[in-house]
Amino acid sequence: MLQYTIRRLLGMIPMLLLISFVVFTLAKMMPGDPFGGEIDPTRTDPKYIEEMREKLGYNDPIYVQYWRWITKFLQGDFGISTTHKMPASEIIMERIPNTLLLAVTSLVITYVFAFFMGMYAGRKPYTISDHVIAGYNYIALAVPSFVAAIVAIYFFSFKLNLFPYSGSVAIGLQPGTWEYYVSRLHHVALPALVLGLMSTASYTQFLRNDIIENSRKDYVRTARAKGVKESKIYNKHILRNSMIPLVTFLGFDLVTLVSGAVITETIFTYPGLGQLFLQSVATRDYAVVMSITMLLSIFTLLGNLIADLLYGIVDPRIRLE
Amino acid sequence: MEVVTNKNDAERKIASQSNHSPWALARKKFIRNKLAMVSLSFLMLLSLLSILAPYILNVDIARVDFLNINLPPSSEHWFGTDSNGRDVFARTLYGGRVSLLIGLASTLCVTLIGTIIGAIAGYVGGKIDQFLMRLTDFVLTFPFTVFVVVLNTILIGKVSGVWTLIMVISLLSWGGTARIVRSKILAEKENEYILAAISVGCSPFKVIAKHLLPNVASTIIVQASLLMAVMIVVESSLSFIGFGVPADTPSWGNMLSEARNSDVLQNKPWIWVPPCLAITFTILSINFVGEGLKDAFNPKSNR
Repeated sequence: MLQYTIRRLLGMIPMLLLISFVVFTLAKMMPGDPFGGEIDPTRTDPKYIEEMREKLGYNDPIYVQYWRWITKFLQGDFGISTTHKMPASEIIMERIPNTLLLAVTSLVITYVFAFFMGMYAGRKPYTISDHVIAGYNYIALAVPSFVAAIVAIYFFSFKLNLFPYSGSVAIGLQPGTWEYYVSRLHHVALPALVLGLMSTASYTQFLRNDIIENSRKDYVRTARAKGVKESKIYNKHILRNSMIPLVTFLGFDLVTLVSGAVITETIFTYPGLGQLFLQSVATRDYAVVMSITMLLSIFTLLGNLIADLLYGIVDPRIRLE
Repeated sequence: MEVVTNKNDAERKIASQSNHSPWALARKKFIRNKLAMVSLSFLMLLSLLSILAPYILNVDIARVDFLNINLPPSSEHWFGTDSNGRDVFARTLYGGRVSLLIGLASTLCVTLIGTIIGAIAGYVGGKIDQFLMRLTDFVLTFPFTVFVVVLNTILIGKVSGVWTLIMVISLLSWGGTARIVRSKILAEKENEYILAAISVGCSPFKVIAKHLLPNVASTIIVQASLLMAVMIVVESSLSFIGFGVPADTPSWGNMLSEARNSDVLQNKPWIWVPPCLAITFTILSINFVGEGLKDAFNPKSNR
């Protein structure tokens, strides 16, 4: 297991190198200058600009520029943001907790709801409640999350006034106080509910089908023959086996959530990584764009690794070689 | 006694089916699936209305009309007008043209690229397979939305708007299809008829195109139909955040992006409800058709 993990981590290095090539090339191809953060825009003197360009290494060969960027990136120096006039790493670090909070909350919501719906539907398949759950899942699968978000804002924020529709915390609250944390949860609730409830479908159907399949197996028949209570069979014997596959979705789901954050955060004007990314693309703030793209790619690779590792951990029948 | 009747039934079934091709059987099964047929009719009607929109509607959708902005639905403007005074009903139909075109075109591109790469990797194997699969892994590790936004920013203005998006989406999303096709081809090529085809001197191209692909076509078709729903969501969500189709082209996502203005969202629901419903029903129908196809092609299901 450890050996496998180390080998996978080593295997990520060439992948990351390739991705960094792509990101660098794309940044160079984008209109404008990718490293213009340190040039003072108020001074338009062409001599000054030329001097700064020389100093920042614009005129160096492309591979020198790439090497400078990637070594700095690995040391945690993401460059200077043009719009914010501060190190890109600081701005990004500021946003990461918000995005993570949103991702984790919506994951918890997905798991809790999918767990109960899947268990119920699996225990009573082909009944009305099973069909209702399946119908809900079909609709949740069909409605894109940003459409659901628009409708949710319309009803819950504007008509019922239950949740705020923008920001991550109410203005004027001191960080660290009780009200501050409550306000943050209140702000994250609506986006997390929309994201979480819209992605229960695959989990629920998976759990349901697995429970139905397991309930026909020999070990369940044995348990019944022994006289184990029906509720105990379902909640203990079957559930333990059916939970296994669900865990493996976790890695992939984290990836989708973080990548999908770009859209959700824009709708809720929630100050996370995704919103920062779009703003930076719009203002041509390349240091931030490149760093976020790299970070999200690394995150995707890690998510896939986590998914594979969890697969081996929860199911001893699968040996990771 | 029961066993015997079952066996007779089974034999009769086989006998009655023996004169149908698998395709005819699948078609029969699909036609019997009511939900899928209703969905298919809905999709066809919607496509037809969208295609014919310029001929049946006598409205100039690009014209900004400041005298008639934000009108609620009336007999003159069925769905009202938007904040530039354009008719929402006409824009929904025109938007369908763009959204469905992007969905269809990028699905075709993705399926084509994915099938070619998957088929070559699965059939040839060895070094080429390894290389192609690494390439697939590589494409799959890109965070999709992020790279689409970046690529679109670079390419916009160089190629006509709608086709930029189709190209970018297709380039980044063929990975899943390639993997599925490869695994299907790997299983299928172990069959003896493939060995026979090779031994009579069929070229690899002919083996793939004439013998292997028709036998994995059902999987590809099902995958493609479900992919199309994903593509329409991708188009509309990208246009919604302002990085998809150029803003002057009506598409469902572009229409929805008006809802980012909180006044429109709060007080003028007629502007954003039609594209919302159009997207939702289209995707629901595509999913039902996809499920229907999956059922129809599955010889084990007898619905």
